[in-house]
Amino acid sequence: MKGKCYIQGLAAITPQHTFEGDLSQPMVVTRGNMLSCVEPDYRSFIAPNSLRRMTRVLRMGLTASLKCLQDSGIAIPGAIVTGTGKGSLQDTERFIKEIRDYEERALNPTPFIQSTYNAVNGLIALQQKCTRYNNTFVHRGFSFEHALLDSMLLLHEGTSDVLAGAFDEITPEHFFIKGRIGHWKKETVSNDALYEHVSPGTISGEGAVFFLLAPTATAQSYAQIGGLEMLYKPSPEKLKTALPQFLQQHGLQAADIDLVLSGANADSNHAHYYQVLNDCTQCPQLPFKHLSGDYETAGAFALWLAAQMLKQQQIPSQWFPMLQQQPARLRNILIYNHFFGEQHTFMLVQAV
Amino acid sequence: MEELKQKLKVQIIEALNLQDTRPEDIDDNAPLFGEGLGLDSIDSLELMVLLERQYQIKVEDPREGRKILQSVQSMAEFIQSKQQPA
Amino acid sequence: MAERVFITGLGMITAIGDNVAENLRSLRAQKSGLDFTRQLDTIYKEVLPVAEVKHTSPALSEMAGVAGKEGYTRTTLLGLIAMQEALRHAGLSNLEDETTGFINASTVGGMCDTENVYFDIADPTKTGDFDKYIDTLDCADCTQQIADVVGISGPITTISTACSSSANALMYGARLIKAGLVRRVICGGTEALTRFTLNGFNSLKNVDKRPCRPFDNDRNGLNLGEGAAYLVLESESLVKERNATVLATLNGYANTNEAFHPTAPSPEGDGAYAAMKTAMEMGGCTPADIQYVNVHGTATLSNDVAEGMALQRLFGDDVPKFSSTKPFTGHALAAAGGIEAIYAVLAISHQIIFPNLHFKDKMQELYITPETQLLEQYPVRHVLSNSFGFGGNNASLLISKYEG
Repeated sequence: MKGKCYIQGLAAITPQHTFEGDLSQPMVVTRGNMLSCVEPDYRSFIAPNSLRRMTRVLRMGLTASLKCLQDSGIAIPGAIVTGTGKGSLQDTERFIKEIRDYEERALNPTPFIQSTYNAVNGLIALQQKCTRYNNTFVHRGFSFEHALLDSMLLLHEGTSDVLAGAFDEITPEHFFIKGRIGHWKKETVSNDALYEHVSPGTISGEGAVFFLLAPTATAQSYAQIGGLEMLYKPSPEKLKTALPQFLQQHGLQAADIDLVLSGANADSNHAHYYQVLNDCTQCPQLPFKHLSGDYETAGAFALWLAAQMLKQQQIPSQWFPMLQQQPARLRNILIYNHFFGEQHTFMLVQAV
Repeated sequence: MEELKQKLKVQIIEALNLQDTRPEDIDDNAPLFGEGLGLDSIDSLELMVLLERQYQIKVEDPREGRKILQSVQSMAEFIQSKQQPA
Repeated sequence: MAERVFITGLGMITAIGDNVAENLRSLRAQKSGLDFTRQLDTIYKEVLPVAEVKHTSPALSEMAGVAGKEGYTRTTLLGLIAMQEALRHAGLSNLEDETTGFINASTVGGMCDTENVYFDIADPTKTGDFDKYIDTLDCADCTQQIADVVGISGPITTISTACSSSANALMYGARLIKAGLVRRVICGGTEALTRFTLNGFNSLKNVDKRPCRPFDNDRNGLNLGEGAAYLVLESESLVKERNATVLATLNGYANTNEAFHPTAPSPEGDGAYAAMKTAMEMGGCTPADIQYVNVHGTATLSNDVAEGMALQRLFGDDVPKFSSTKPFTGHALAAAGGIEAIYAVLAISHQIIFPNLHFKDKMQELYITPETQLLEQYPVRHVLSNSFGFGGNNASLLISKYEG
């Protein structure tokens, strides 16, 4: 997808101290394979009467979106587009249990309403009185990426600005369930030592990350989203030709990429895909999933990192102990991420 | 009746997660919806669930529900009328 | 100038037919698909009517050509059957020579099957044959399974905006084509009945125990349905290149939000009004150009008031023929927009307007009433198709006759 797309505001609730946008915070280290978000005080964003019914991911999603709007100085965006792999797990789990426990009688509608995947979108629209375009993508590792593509289409079609974001949560029950099909490591690891444990599975995570996107750059722009490409279950050959092609389409050569943010997650089942980065780029590669854990919309966190690094021209070294030295300059950051080998994404993020 | 109303207030606060409200904050006759406690149509469905789960009273028609759920007083009166059939 | 987007293939399965031809036959015969469930394990088995596809899941596996293979949920099977018909109808036997996208819609993914094994899956003390359902918990599973069977490798994603999901899928597909990102996209949705959704809507007290009565003064809620529907969308250039038959054009679309309430529309139908108006204008139409509106018409108290008010505001004294086909198919949630988009195409290609079954008395809030007769040889050139959902999500499509 071509066309101009600038990040004018952002906010992230993640397992790190990201909410205030301060990149000098120490790394949060979690022992155990399930990373949980550092949650802000929601009461400064959501009225008590609204907050009382909301479950965790709704609070996270709504608050991250409101903080993002605050950051961008825009109250009513031209569109709201989100991605989520799992929606509100807590509500889905609660409703399915209540159906059983109360034998289908006398059920509270709230968990059903909130389990709907577009519940967060509805809440944002409601709180901001935004009556414009509103859409939600729910496709694993393409959830956030299609929300981004939709946003870029909207800007191309003339929409003034778009609030685009992603949110996912993990619950102990869902962690157990996905563990049954080998998503997580059998051995307990600490996230700061993730990459020392290359074995089947990875560690789980969660997050709510939003961006305000606009078609023109201003002094407050964080970065430009220069390119986005998605590949569904690509063959190794396809992947190998797709990356150089992607760079070429955007007028870049391998040497132009200053940094790669890679979705590498120490999962030996799917690690081989990341080899393509060694073949096609020459710059430092930094993995980011020790910070966020892995989940469907982790790509949104990678984009947040890239945008922050480009704006501040600095890589937060306490979050990336594997970094040997700060790059001389940060103009072009390539993100390559995939979700358990199925949905692969390249994103090109550029300094403004 | 007083006891029932007191119990209802506690149950309402719990069911609707009214964190900053204490039972004594709820006036027997104050409207639960709109102006009063600021409850909405989803709360009214939840209160009907409360009646069904706690008092085994089923309210079929949402329109009838609105009348019953006007205030703590009206809820209590309705519960009492169901519990002591004339 | 962006390319026009043409509809070149249709495929569907609903309670009133296993394919498009059977659906048309049932619509003409005014045969409702509402009945009590035979597939769903629920205490409402003989209480709440539903519009169920009249086949067991193993029978659906046969029809989809995947009999004996594991891991296909009912959601996937319904989708696969509709997808295969759509591809055949569009004359596409090989998807490799043109990048083909797939924009699917789903509200609860494979819940129809997972809800039966969920507590085993979540219980660490249980082991068994249920691991194959773990991947089907989300909405992407059905999309990928369908894509993998028919060999789609282009842009692929799933949209979930409750009851407007597949209308939004069609809209997104059309926009991908207009932006020049792809020349062919298959769009629509699939939905299987579940205890989860049945109890969900029932907890909102908006499921009618009788067959639903859209736009009737005595309506008291919806009936759920299941099914799948896909439309093949192609760019004008691709249609010319391969000399494909154009069934209709996707001429306009709009998505707006109520920003009013988590589950209810604004009483004046602001979002519905804006969606219809914008879709119409995008296609260069004025209210007088519209011959038929296939309304969302769920028969819930609030939808029909809001949608009716929006129709009155948009069309004034000249409201075109309108009807809800939900008494035929039930409300098939994520599939509804796709099913009704196909009905819109059929209305145009067969010059026919479908009756709004079960209507008796005009709503007191409105001065308009739906069409209750089957109208043949009715000159239909432009149809609006409405799909409105939770979270205030409104989508309208303008489907128009192809006139060169």
